Amino acid sequence: MSTPTELKYSKTHEWVKEEGDVMVIGLTDFAQNELGDLVFVNLPEEGDEVEAGEAFGDVESVKAVSDVISPVSGEVCAINEDLLDNPAAINEDAYGAWLIKVKNVSDSEELMDASEYDKFCESEK
Amino acid sequence: MKLAYVCATSTNPYENIAMEEYLTFHTKQDGCILFLWQNENTVVIGKNQNAFRECKVSKLTEAGGRLARRLSGGGAVFHDLGNLNFTFCVRKEQYDVDRQLQVIVEALKEFGLTVEKSGRNDLQIDGKKFSGNAYYASGEYAYHHGTIMIDVNETSLMDYLTVSAAKLVAKGVDSVRSRVVNLNSLNRKITVERVKEAMLAAFCKVYGETAEPYVFSDTAKEEIKKRAEFFASEEWLVGNQKQLSIVFEHRFPWGEVSVQMETQGDRICDVNVYTDALDDTLAERIEQRLRGCRYQKDALLENGNLENNEERDVIVWISALL
Repeated sequence: MSTPTELKYSKTHEWVKEEGDVMVIGLTDFAQNELGDLVFVNLPEEGDEVEAGEAFGDVESVKAVSDVISPVSGEVCAINEDLLDNPAAINEDAYGAWLIKVKNVSDSEELMDASEYDKFCESEK
Repeated sequence: MKLAYVCATSTNPYENIAMEEYLTFHTKQDGCILFLWQNENTVVIGKNQNAFRECKVSKLTEAGGRLARRLSGGGAVFHDLGNLNFTFCVRKEQYDVDRQLQVIVEALKEFGLTVEKSGRNDLQIDGKKFSGNAYYASGEYAYHHGTIMIDVNETSLMDYLTVSAAKLVAKGVDSVRSRVVNLNSLNRKITVERVKEAMLAAFCKVYGETAEPYVFSDTAKEEIKKRAEFFASEEWLVGNQKQLSIVFEHRFPWGEVSVQMETQGDRICDVNVYTDALDDTLAERIEQRLRGCRYQKDALLENGNLENNEERDVIVWISALL
């Protein structure tokens, strides 16, 4: 799958999409591929604060739990509740299956563009 | 690589899980810490499991046992002092499950045992599982841990881990006893102490380095203590998330009953009862009795009078499952 050029990427394999003042966050296709079939997703609640570089939730594949690290600091203004019943949606369409939306963004990790991220993934293999 | 090891002195699961977490997030680049630990009479459930569905919580705590939740995924396991746990704490770039498992393979060679890897998560000898493994990753940190059954009390294992009747039916009743094996039943010379020694020796052999004992600072000890309190808290063990539904079915002499419950935290928040009993208000009465009640044996039994025979049968039967 090609890496969408309109998104930004973190070293811990989350993607960030800017929608006006709101940042949409998800897991990259590389991440879902490394994790394998997901069976569970834990998300924060609306109104929770997330902090750049800190875990805001986790995903579980076969006996492995991986924390999802927030690329930005701010307030959760929406969560993708459909994923709670259907974690496999992340495996099927990583860039469509967003996890949370964050508003009042005050800080961000250093993020990569698509071509930088592709190179980064090459070096991780 | 720089190797370090820790042999836990506590058998309290909350302290051990806190120490495991501390070690994981303090592993240096190019380092690997082997943590060997034991929990006394504890059921450990996976990060995303429903405590009540996986384990008879009341029965366990009444017997002085503890319920613990780990950071990694997977299913419920029973630990006593016949079980040895190992954790490999590494940075992501050093994470290598095959190499880590090789340490166990090498350690047990010392006792003339040939270990096979089964699927992604189990280790077996002659087709019988003695070790289950699970994984946790957070950013650049990761751990791989697992159990080694050396002399575990298999009766307790069956007693506390009995999952709900419905789940057993759904998965097909497959006795745990027939699938697992204690190492000391294969070689009487095997003890927990000997396996610990063999693990440490194999750790150095597989990684080709010597291992130093890990030294905890006073601040580290404080931090671990604080986290142990969190890992023992209701918030972590039961949480407040909407839990999965629990289904119990049973045939009584007077009719069949199916109870479906949803728990939120430690309370029953929703319940539906179906029965073919002649008493047509029975289902409603049981529902009223269960709704909002704490999901705990004594709370169920004490919640109002149990005058009616059928009603009592059902409540006593449900509370015996907890």
